[in-house]
Amino acid sequence: MLTTPPPFAAASPRGYAYAPVSATSDIERATGVAVVAPERSRRHLADLVLHLVRRELASAHRNTLLGWTWPLVRQLAQLAVLVFLFSKVLDLKIPDYPTFVFTGLIAWTWFATALTAAAYSVVSNAHFVTNPRFPTITLPFVAVAVPCFDVLMAMPVLLVLLGFEGRLGDTALLLPLLLVAQFAFTAGVALIVSALNVYLRDVQNVVGVLLLLLFYLTPVFYGLKNVPPQFHWLLRANPLTAFVNADRAALFDGRLPALVDVAIASGSTIAALGIGLALFRRLQPGFVDEL
Amino acid sequence: MSVLRFEGVWKAYPDWSRPPRTLRGIVTGRVPVLAGRRRAKRWALRDVTLDLAPGGSLGLIGHNGAGKSTFLRLAAGLSRPTRGGLAVHSDTAAVLSLGSSFDMQLKGRENALTAALVAGMTRREALARLPEMLDFAELGDFVDSPVRTYSEGMKLRLAFGVIAALEPRLLILDEVLAVGDLAFRQKCHERIAELRDGGTSLVLASHSLDEVRTTCDQVAWLHHGGVHALGDVETVIEEYERASIERTYERTPVGSSRADDEGLRLRENRFGSQEMTIESVEVRGATPAAALRTGDPLHVHATVRARDAPVRDPIVVVSLRRAGDQAVVFDLSTRADGFTLGAEVASADVTLSIQRLDLPAGDYALDVGVFEAAWEHAYDYHWQTYPLRVEGPAGASGILVPEHRWSIAD
Repeated sequence: MLTTPPPFAAASPRGYAYAPVSATSDIERATGVAVVAPERSRRHLADLVLHLVRRELASAHRNTLLGWTWPLVRQLAQLAVLVFLFSKVLDLKIPDYPTFVFTGLIAWTWFATALTAAAYSVVSNAHFVTNPRFPTITLPFVAVAVPCFDVLMAMPVLLVLLGFEGRLGDTALLLPLLLVAQFAFTAGVALIVSALNVYLRDVQNVVGVLLLLLFYLTPVFYGLKNVPPQFHWLLRANPLTAFVNADRAALFDGRLPALVDVAIASGSTIAALGIGLALFRRLQPGFVDEL
Repeated sequence: MSVLRFEGVWKAYPDWSRPPRTLRGIVTGRVPVLAGRRRAKRWALRDVTLDLAPGGSLGLIGHNGAGKSTFLRLAAGLSRPTRGGLAVHSDTAAVLSLGSSFDMQLKGRENALTAALVAGMTRREALARLPEMLDFAELGDFVDSPVRTYSEGMKLRLAFGVIAALEPRLLILDEVLAVGDLAFRQKCHERIAELRDGGTSLVLASHSLDEVRTTCDQVAWLHHGGVHALGDVETVIEEYERASIERTYERTPVGSSRADDEGLRLRENRFGSQEMTIESVEVRGATPAAALRTGDPLHVHATVRARDAPVRDPIVVVSLRRAGDQAVVFDLSTRADGFTLGAEVASADVTLSIQRLDLPAGDYALDVGVFEAAWEHAYDYHWQTYPLRVEGPAGASGILVPEHRWSIAD
């Protein structure tokens, strides 16, 4: 019925061997990640992460009276219940129990909040992901960085309390390093769950269930000492144990973290980041088709 | 050199009706994740080859499901072809779903900043261009109000203002200008023209043939995922319109030869698939048979009704032809004016109001039609069915008698 019109521009004949163009011109094969000039892109990446974190924080606490102090209130409430249960109801006989729990609780809350948010991070920001120049990989990092702010709110309170108890020593200077390590580890796991959740929406529920179980299998409101040795492997299987132990050693006990904890923490950080980055990069090109 | 190149691109989506994969689906084997390549595929694009030179502008037309959205996703570099080669420019901006990236609780200013960063600006650039974006959006005092208090038009203006400020090398727009009022669309088109003068290339998917005609130099007509026609804008659109007429004729059921009360006979002066029908047409300002005077207003009132299921976003058309030489006096459509009857229409009463009809005395006839959302074919078209007699001062000829007076210098 219709005649074929002349092709416009220089549309190549079918079967024309298509030379890779990225090397010779300023267009490139679609990769799902558009590449802009590297130095500009690094600047942009930093700006973008900071902006998204700020936006999340502003959005989360808008129209509330207590604003940014809410996460702290939540942690203190949980702390109060744990302290009541395990020093009055079932006495674990741990000296300075409130600060002991608080040290572990801060690390745990960060990890749990970050992973819960990370699971949804790509799926619920589909409108960002469908932007040609948006680096999707920033989303899980934002999910980890946002609750980091809660840590920075709670930490001074803890440090003051530890100071009153006379527990604060030189080893507390390790705190920034400990935070960076936990950030890296959590980000690695966040990359994995955020990418998998795009393809398999059950992941967000699995994360919820696992976190529920892990809370009890991480020495947050008890110490490894309270656990019979034959079950230590169970807690050791959880890398977070190493992070909590290290935090507690440096802040609460005023001594250097045990070698075993340092080894497990750094090993699992490298593994999580490596697997996370590789997996995310591999799965990312298909994201838009699934969202 | 080109800003966009498709080389025999094929794109398939897995063929299942429930996209989110769940564990239950895998366990019960309904979702064959491991079957991978063997699972059924639905081809959304078939062997698409084209090349867009810098500064060019390409319009995409075709009915829903023809592959326009898939094409745009690939062109934006968001998705990979299943087969074939694809090259996209790294400096590409796309508006695939306008306005959805806003956080309703945050202010317009904050949202504009976010959108700019997400679209690829650094913070410094975004802050520098922010006044320009807000200015384009004409938000007035609303700049510091939460976006939830905005009208749809304001959200659109804000979103488009941000993208326009990016000044990308290739701008991809999906049907975004179909919404919004006439003034806004005009403003967007002016901005697009400015960007094009600055060397920006454009890919625009639209259901409005008029928009494509005025905005693009080249058109790709997609049909079932393939490029049905590709070329100069006038040629392809003409073909598309001709094909639409042919399809309409093919789909018109063979009716009885006896005319109904309105004098309508299928395949004679009534065409279309009849999935939606024009139940009644009333020409006000005059009864259909009575005369209208030059300069009188004209109201055309039509009632449309879907035969079975509601119809998606139908287009209503009213055109007037002069008796005798059949010259078209006007040809108006809801689509061209950015007016929509609704997403799903079961029935509707539509009125077209014309303030003044400055026509010379004579006999005219109205066509009234209702079309498929992408002009695919007519649902119902009443051809030269509604006569209109205009009375006026004798001696006026030509197509128009504008309101006028003569004067002479003293």
